[in-house]
Amino acid sequence: MIQRVNPDLKKYLVKYGVQDWNECFHCGNCTAICPLTDQGFLFPRKAIRQVQMGLKTSLASNFDPWLCYYCGECSETCPRDANPGELMMSLRRYLTSVYDWTGFSKLFYTKKIWEFLTIIILFILVIASFVVWFPKEQIANFTTYIGDHSFLKVIEAGDLIMAAVVAFVLISNIFRMWYLTILKPKYKVPFIEYFRGIYVLPGVFASQISFRKCDTDGRLYWVNHLLLMTGYTLMFILVVVFLPKFQVSEVYNWYHWQRLLGYYATFGLLFGLSAMFIGRWRKKSEKFKFSHLSDWLFIIMLFLTTLTGILVHIFRLADMPYATYYLYIIHLAVLVPMICVEVPFSKWSHLAYRPFSIYFYYLKKAALSKQHKSKLAAAA
Amino acid sequence: MEEKVNTAVCFCQHTNGHTDVVDISEVAAYAEEIPGVRTVWYTSSLPIADTREITRMITEEGISRIVLAGEQPGMYKTVFAKSLAAAGMKAENVVQAGFREHGAIKKFDTDRAKAILACAVYGVPFENAAIPEESDVHPDTLVIGGGISGIQASLEIADGNQKVYLLEKTGTIGGHMAMFDKTFPTLDCAACILTPKMVEVGQHQNIDLMTYCEVLGVSGEAGNYKVRILKKSKRVDPATCIGCGTCMEKCPKKAPSEFDAEISMRKAIYIPFPQAVPNKYLIDADNCTYVENGKCGICVKVCPVPDCIDLDQQDEEVEITVGNIVVATGFKPFDAKRVDQFGYGKFPNVITSLEFERLINAAGPTSGNIVFRSQDKKGNWIFNDESASPKSIALIHCVGSRDENYNKYCSKVCCMYSLKLAHLAKEKLPDAEVSEYYIDMRSFGKGYEEFYERIDNEGINIIRGRTAKIEESGDQLLLRSEDIEGGRLIEQKVDMVVLAVGLEARDDSEELAKMLGITQDENGWFNETNFLSDPVGTFAGGITIAGVCQGPKDIPDSVAQGSAAASRVLQSIIKGKVKKSIKDISLDYIESHAKKLSKIMEDKL
Repeated sequence: MIQRVNPDLKKYLVKYGVQDWNECFHCGNCTAICPLTDQGFLFPRKAIRQVQMGLKTSLASNFDPWLCYYCGECSETCPRDANPGELMMSLRRYLTSVYDWTGFSKLFYTKKIWEFLTIIILFILVIASFVVWFPKEQIANFTTYIGDHSFLKVIEAGDLIMAAVVAFVLISNIFRMWYLTILKPKYKVPFIEYFRGIYVLPGVFASQISFRKCDTDGRLYWVNHLLLMTGYTLMFILVVVFLPKFQVSEVYNWYHWQRLLGYYATFGLLFGLSAMFIGRWRKKSEKFKFSHLSDWLFIIMLFLTTLTGILVHIFRLADMPYATYYLYIIHLAVLVPMICVEVPFSKWSHLAYRPFSIYFYYLKKAALSKQHKSKLAAAA
Repeated sequence: MEEKVNTAVCFCQHTNGHTDVVDISEVAAYAEEIPGVRTVWYTSSLPIADTREITRMITEEGISRIVLAGEQPGMYKTVFAKSLAAAGMKAENVVQAGFREHGAIKKFDTDRAKAILACAVYGVPFENAAIPEESDVHPDTLVIGGGISGIQASLEIADGNQKVYLLEKTGTIGGHMAMFDKTFPTLDCAACILTPKMVEVGQHQNIDLMTYCEVLGVSGEAGNYKVRILKKSKRVDPATCIGCGTCMEKCPKKAPSEFDAEISMRKAIYIPFPQAVPNKYLIDADNCTYVENGKCGICVKVCPVPDCIDLDQQDEEVEITVGNIVVATGFKPFDAKRVDQFGYGKFPNVITSLEFERLINAAGPTSGNIVFRSQDKKGNWIFNDESASPKSIALIHCVGSRDENYNKYCSKVCCMYSLKLAHLAKEKLPDAEVSEYYIDMRSFGKGYEEFYERIDNEGINIIRGRTAKIEESGDQLLLRSEDIEGGRLIEQKVDMVVLAVGLEARDDSEELAKMLGITQDENGWFNETNFLSDPVGTFAGGITIAGVCQGPKDIPDSVAQGSAAASRVLQSIIKGKVKKSIKDISLDYIESHAKKLSKIMEDKL
């Protein structure tokens, strides 16, 4: 494959958080110590090489960064302090912007002001729409009106529109990812493998099982992540798909499934977020030593959403309609920009790219083994 | 009318995160006060790649002369010379004030840096302005350290008919070289080269060999040092000991042998190795049962010579007067236990290169048989001649060297000695699979690259890629590395792993440096006066350094430095004078001297 060397790539990647890439002298320590390295997937060193040499095309077709869960072993043992782990993190940000055809992702990552502006505009829009369209007479009995059929319909419609837009952006970006990583580098994947490989997707999405390999030396990243991820996903499903069953006028007993699920999700979110917050604050482990603005925004937005959600619940139980009403608006005003910005264009897009990278990993392996076999056959 | 010279002082110092360096802000403040200095620049804030911009600045300020100040400012000279020429000034008016070159390295040396800068501004070479006084020299010399470098220095000085005290901390001279089997790249037998020299030292009439001794303190000044020495009691009278070995046979107490890199056991009364010089027994007080609780004394009973062994002998202190001191204290091998991933100390068959060196040595504990490590009856891990031999051996380079987590520097010798060890292993076990994992192959000297090629053709797998970790896998060890050239991940199972440990400054070198008034660099190696032009001199008068204590080096270089140090010593003895420490000259003195000299030069013009 002929490709153009881009000497400015390194300078450009600084905005995504890449640090001193030139420190690396290619000893291969990072690749060998990584618990996830596999034949044909020699990360992180290969990616460092691509960055050093300015091979933009190769970098775009490299999905290795998505296979890395950042245990930090490579950075800890790197003889040159070149921080290969952080490079993978930065490349995940960069690749997100490469896959995103809308250009928003690139804008948000490279120009911080736009990310803030978008969040603030969406925040104001949500509040404004409540001020304009919400029936004022309902505020006094908002704790019961929250489950009203007509009110729910409006919120649900909004939810679905948001979900559709986000899903459209993500799915189209996944197709771009497929094009860039499998089609463009001309990996000859046998067609049947596309179906054989599909079984990995749900399992990987639910368990992130390869993440567990990174939890050596008593690290608990996988558990933290699982709690946060299941909590978030559960809450998302409850709020978007089962809103009429979740947001109801009457208050059920605490052991009702709807409340128990809600509590589990809240606990998972709070636990995972606190672990992340403390980690990034203390900067002790390699994983959390360097924080990009998008990392903090992700934690803060999700934390605010969770907090306001909890407060809405408490005020409802205490039957305080005005407090519930104001908190509910703020809750939505934080939630909407969080989902619209983070999920398709920023840190949260990894919920799609990670499982699909493992799917593509399966496809690439199949292609490589086919190539290997045909080579052997030709040699024979 | 005389044209006024406007000087710009430009600081080219990068601290690189070090804190104990020359205080640039203080020197800059001083620079502004020197007459003729128009402005002070810093390369960190200059558009260093843009000569046009610098030219503009030169014209604007009316600069006709630039002084580049910093640790090693030479690399910027061309940029400024070009800019100066472009501004219509003389390109040769770029003067360097190299701090490191003239010995200003640490924060402590800030005054020296000021003096260096002042000399450069006045246009006077520092060496001409800062001339230390000379004093009469005592003809005797002390050599600290009895390794190959110290031996070489002692022999050269003693052959020049001068008295030498050769001080050695252990019971024998010979140092690390005595432990080696072969030397690279010629594969000469190390002992065949070293032992004749050792014997010569032992017999030389001009050498007073002081083994089992330590330096306690140094006083006096250049040319007349009073050195207090602790003579640790050997408890065996070397004058009467006939070296029969009966005492050692009967001694009940065992301890790990330092000479065998602690892979075998020796007795508490011992001779470090059969060719030791002096070839007399001594008692290791730390392990002797009698010294511990007063009950034993078997050695006294069996000794055929009356009054030879005196178990109650005490350490004594002596003082000697010397004119020159040669420091040749050598190194300590890197402690491989610090690298967690390699499991040294956890896996018995992960061994260090020095241990392997003893294992492979025909005079070693296994008579040169490469065997697995096994446990003796008391649970000590030793190499027993009867154990089986490994079928595959891997050597890992750069253990503790070229690594930000341990030592940043390259230890220089590991690549070559690993190749040598690989060759010897293949020679002893022709059927064994021998692999080497390296980062970069540094075969840097005469005949070294050829040696590498030779070993490469001997059927040894030489793999580019640093091994990341070693795990136990059944009876074997599993190595995980990336083959950089082959572009694949390697998981190799081997029976034995040899870690090519780097060289480190000795733990006691800081203490010694303080006693002698010499300085150390950030890695603990002793500082030379000038890396290029005076690698054995120090800023303390009458003290020279030789061998690895100055920085990692191989045997030929250590020998060369031993000779170089000896020539420096002999020079001062012949002259009868030695230069005092350059540290004793004050800033004021250098400054006024430089002013005077520059005045003379101007008048002459």
